[in-house]
Amino acid sequence: MAKLVELRDIYKIYSEGLESEVRALNGVSLDVDRGEFVAVVGQSGSGKSTMMNVLGCLDIPTYGTYRLDGVDVGTLSDNQLSKIRNREIGFIFQQYNLIPGLNLAENVELPLIYTGMDPIDRRERALAALEKVGLADRYKRFPKQLSGGQQQRVAIARAISDEPPIIMADEPTGALDSRTGLEILRFLQELNKEGHTIFLITHDNGIAATARRIVRLSDGRIIEDRTQEVDWI
Amino acid sequence: MNIFQSIKMAWRSIVTKKGRSVLTMLSIFIGIASVMSIVSVMEGMKEFTRAQYAAMGTNLVTVSIYSWSYDEDGNNTGKDYFPELYSYCESIREYVDGVTPNGYASATVSYGTKTTANMEYQWDEQTGRTISAPPRMSYGSDQYAVCNNLKIERGRDISYLDLERYNPVMVLGANTAKTFFGTMDPVGKIMQVNGQNFTVIGVYAPRTSGENADFMTDNIIVFPYTVRRLLGGEMMTEFIIKAKNSESINQVISRVGGFLKGLVPENTGGYSVYSESTWQESENQYLTMIGLVLGGIAAISLLVGGIGIMNIMLVTVTERTREIGIRRAIGAKRSSIVTQFLIEAGMLCGFGGILGIAVGSVLSYVLGKLIFHMTLYPVLWVTLAAFGLSVFLGMVFGCYPAIKASRLQPVEALRSE
Repeated sequence: MAKLVELRDIYKIYSEGLESEVRALNGVSLDVDRGEFVAVVGQSGSGKSTMMNVLGCLDIPTYGTYRLDGVDVGTLSDNQLSKIRNREIGFIFQQYNLIPGLNLAENVELPLIYTGMDPIDRRERALAALEKVGLADRYKRFPKQLSGGQQQRVAIARAISDEPPIIMADEPTGALDSRTGLEILRFLQELNKEGHTIFLITHDNGIAATARRIVRLSDGRIIEDRTQEVDWI
Repeated sequence: MNIFQSIKMAWRSIVTKKGRSVLTMLSIFIGIASVMSIVSVMEGMKEFTRAQYAAMGTNLVTVSIYSWSYDEDGNNTGKDYFPELYSYCESIREYVDGVTPNGYASATVSYGTKTTANMEYQWDEQTGRTISAPPRMSYGSDQYAVCNNLKIERGRDISYLDLERYNPVMVLGANTAKTFFGTMDPVGKIMQVNGQNFTVIGVYAPRTSGENADFMTDNIIVFPYTVRRLLGGEMMTEFIIKAKNSESINQVISRVGGFLKGLVPENTGGYSVYSESTWQESENQYLTMIGLVLGGIAAISLLVGGIGIMNIMLVTVTERTREIGIRRAIGAKRSSIVTQFLIEAGMLCGFGGILGIAVGSVLSYVLGKLIFHMTLYPVLWVTLAAFGLSVFLGMVFGCYPAIKASRLQPVEALRSE
């Protein structure tokens, strides 16, 4: 069975050939199996955000091949990429990225709308996801009415509402205090136990300690790739 | 994602940004309302002039015959050509419905204490319409009624015998009859015309009524033209021929022209033959030209409205680039994003358009009442065109920035603040 994620010699180069050339990813290769919990760690400018964008099909590498579940992502059309982001990947961002004009249930439903699910099933799934993060009773509220930690929990609910195999979390605790941050990390560990493959992008080694596998980036290259004992929260 | 979902999403974002939505609608609303009222007023003007011409009668050919020979006292010694013109018209009956002199009489007409000598113009203060005035007096033949679109309501019309015998008789217009006789039947009554006894033989039915009512159109007195002997007045030089229909106008013009060429001596007189419809055409052209200019102004205001929409949409999409990024990351296709913005713009402009149509209709109605005293309804094709155009403009201007934003890589859209 093919690896879930297979990166081969990935380069992401900005202003290639110019004096201002920047190699955000400089020849990265990585294999990830289903069910892994991978922390991508690095200082700012190390290329970890670019890595997450490439992994999440939000950006296209300049060179190299990226196989997701055996499919070469580089050969896919924009619509097919949209479909992959929709079905295969759930995103959790540092800034939550909820849509302010929609209430919680509608925010969580959003991926399901683009999947094409009918309204009744959709609402049921969205409420179930909100239930999981403990916010089902507030589904009619708007993001602004919630605290940061609560908003991030809504973002988690949105990420898991259509049960994607991969969860992509980009500095999910970056805007939160440590206590609410831990709560978010606990959710991620739980999702991992349920079988989701988790990518946790962070600059904080302490946060990375919640992951089984550490991939450390510096100047666009992997300088460390190891597994470790996990701090269960 | 289905269309119903898109409409719901568009509705949500319209409601969320009320200020922006109102501004967008305003620009379309003003454009449509102005286009509609301008076009309605133009149509009203056309209808008004058309009604005036229709009341006067259509398919008319005006003949002028004049002479410049005078006697020692300076009196025109020109010949009365009407009998000859009359019998010639009888001979081309296949083209002609009637012929009459078109000369005005000036006389003092009185009945009891009422006399034209002290009648004055009076206007209704609210509508500005004439409600009282001295009647217009004309000399006519037995075919005056046909030529002037008149019908006898009571009594009888002027007959050929009246002309032959110089009978002192007269026919009154509907308003004139009311002025002198109120509810009494004027037929058979004797009136004094310049002190001589004239018998009222008939009353014409009103030519205008209701909204188009025009007092002067029915404020007339017609005498047989031969009584000019008794009442005096200039030699009659102008005549009206009523052609059978619009196709026979040209036949009448050329035949009567040919007849007069042989009749009127070139060295002492002249003649002209022309059709009223020529006037009407030039009047219509004139109105159309004004319409084009005003329509152009209105179109510009609609265009400005469209540009306003474009501006607002551009800002909207720019400030919502991040939202577009989020939606793209979550799995929205480019087409879903474009559809959403397209529907949003279309709905905004549609609402603005409906509002514009409502206000435009009210404006048309009010302006019609104020200016023409007519009920003006909005012209359907203009309404539809203005509405379609506004929605179209909104969609074009709304989707261009959306297409631009959807072309961004999701990561770039996400990065924007």
